[in-house]
Amino acid sequence: MVKKLEQIKGRAWVFGNNVDTDQIIQGRYLTLLDYAEMAKHAFEIPRPEFASAVRKNDIIIAGRNFGGGSSREEAPQILVRTGVGCVVAESFARIFYRNGFNVGLPLMTVPEVTAVVRNGMKLTVDLSEGTLTVDETGEVLKGDALPQMMLDLLRAGGAVPRFRQQK
Amino acid sequence: MGKTLAEKILGSHTKKGDATAGEIVEATVDFLMVHEVLGSRIIPILEEMGVEKVWDPERILVVNDHWAPAKDSMSAEIHQRNRQFVAKHSIKHFCDVNCGICHQVLPEMGLVKPGDLVIGSDSHSTSYGAFNAFSTGLAATDSALIIATGKCWFRVPESLRINISGDLPDMVMSKDLILKIVTDLGPDGANYKSIEFHGPTMDSMSIESRMTVANMSVEAGAKSGLMTVNDAVRMWMATRAPGVKWKEVVPDDDAKYVEQIDIDLQKEPIDPIVAVPHSPSNGKPVSEVEGVELDQAFIGSCTNGRLEDLEIAARILKGKQVNPGLRMIITPASRETYLQALRLGYIETFIQAGAIVTNSTCGACVGGHLGVLGSGEVCISSTNRNFRGRMGHPESLVYLASPATVAASALKGVITDPRSVR
Repeated sequence: MVKKLEQIKGRAWVFGNNVDTDQIIQGRYLTLLDYAEMAKHAFEIPRPEFASAVRKNDIIIAGRNFGGGSSREEAPQILVRTGVGCVVAESFARIFYRNGFNVGLPLMTVPEVTAVVRNGMKLTVDLSEGTLTVDETGEVLKGDALPQMMLDLLRAGGAVPRFRQQK
Repeated sequence: MGKTLAEKILGSHTKKGDATAGEIVEATVDFLMVHEVLGSRIIPILEEMGVEKVWDPERILVVNDHWAPAKDSMSAEIHQRNRQFVAKHSIKHFCDVNCGICHQVLPEMGLVKPGDLVIGSDSHSTSYGAFNAFSTGLAATDSALIIATGKCWFRVPESLRINISGDLPDMVMSKDLILKIVTDLGPDGANYKSIEFHGPTMDSMSIESRMTVANMSVEAGAKSGLMTVNDAVRMWMATRAPGVKWKEVVPDDDAKYVEQIDIDLQKEPIDPIVAVPHSPSNGKPVSEVEGVELDQAFIGSCTNGRLEDLEIAARILKGKQVNPGLRMIITPASRETYLQALRLGYIETFIQAGAIVTNSTCGACVGGHLGVLGSGEVCISSTNRNFRGRMGHPESLVYLASPATVAASALKGVITDPRSVR
């Protein structure tokens, strides 16, 4: 499976600063062995409507330090399972950032993104260009370019498919 | 240019023997710790990867600690999977549900030594920095890759150096110090960075107190919280890992730090600190929150469930009664800690005071079991995180504090300065 990193088109779900891993998926659901079941509880605390209303390729927009706290890989995994196309944040917590690429969840850092993007806006993200476009106004925000290694990881669909390719 | 602790330890684990902040290196890992994440996530990933054989069954510790003993049939299944994996691959080091919390039992078993590169499938794996090891938390996929290959890639972190001098006053603990540091840095103030803790205060600190500091470095986003070797570490190694050779790692005098912070506790003594909901970086002097009414007081976790923590709590609670309006729960960090506390009479003191003493587990800290909070409940806790919903209901409130502050507050039923109950 080769993942497309250009023209990720979806609606924005906007969050604030310091969305920690318990807000993405609470610790009490970690014993659920089925990710599809767990994904029903994505963002349950801050946005209880998220899991039922999210559509394929929707884009999470967040402020600083998205994904801080626990090392739980379930956090990016369930975002993949809910169909989230990409997370664009002003900064990411370290372990979440690494986990995102490992599980094939596209992540992009864009300074000040929460000052421009509002809930429900239609967006287009291009990871290889490092841009986010607001479809209605045509405004283009420039993100930090991804190292080649991270782009390769995403294109492969994550660390496990890449391991299998290289084996 | 000189090297930091992070550069030296990571560098010594690469093929070329060198690492510089900012570069991405592949490193050989000395040791891997995995807990329930093995059964729930890593085993399915290993199956998907087609991995039949672990890289080194003597360099892996498997711990069943988060919901120990199993809180329900799902956690029981995860524990079963871990036991089967341990048997199938002849994993040498295994702690089942009767052992304690991973970050406490790994050093107790003598499985970390200065200069090591240790990875754990848990964010608080920064704890082993107290032993002059580079250690950090990764998650299931990286752990699976390490189980398969013994290797892992790292972006070599920039380092932030904190020099601390002066003594902590009576009833002020290393927890108060790290809560203050995390508050000053903010929740992402050390994101992607390695923190080095230096100075006479760190040199004279006990293993327990050092581990609390290293453990909570991650609450400022740090990749690791590193210290040099002190007498407590030398003594620990001599008793926990006799005969094992190790060499202390020190940073070069001209190592490059992105920032240096000096803390002089003599000039500016610190008060007991309480982190108010919903972030460990919301620290305030206890005087600002005194009187907040409590439903639960909890002492435990990989942050503050060690002997020193139980000792100070026992000193405060001895011959007294926990406020009847509140429940106090004490979870020793390991079976060994529990036994020592039992022999020293602390456990009897707790039970006489009206506290509940549980077996060793992560339990209440992760909202798992043995002290989960209900809607609207307020808890003061010696743990590491007070994120919304961390210890139970999303509408519950968690205040983080030292074991001394938790014990003093348990007596009064409201948040209390431990210096007032001496």
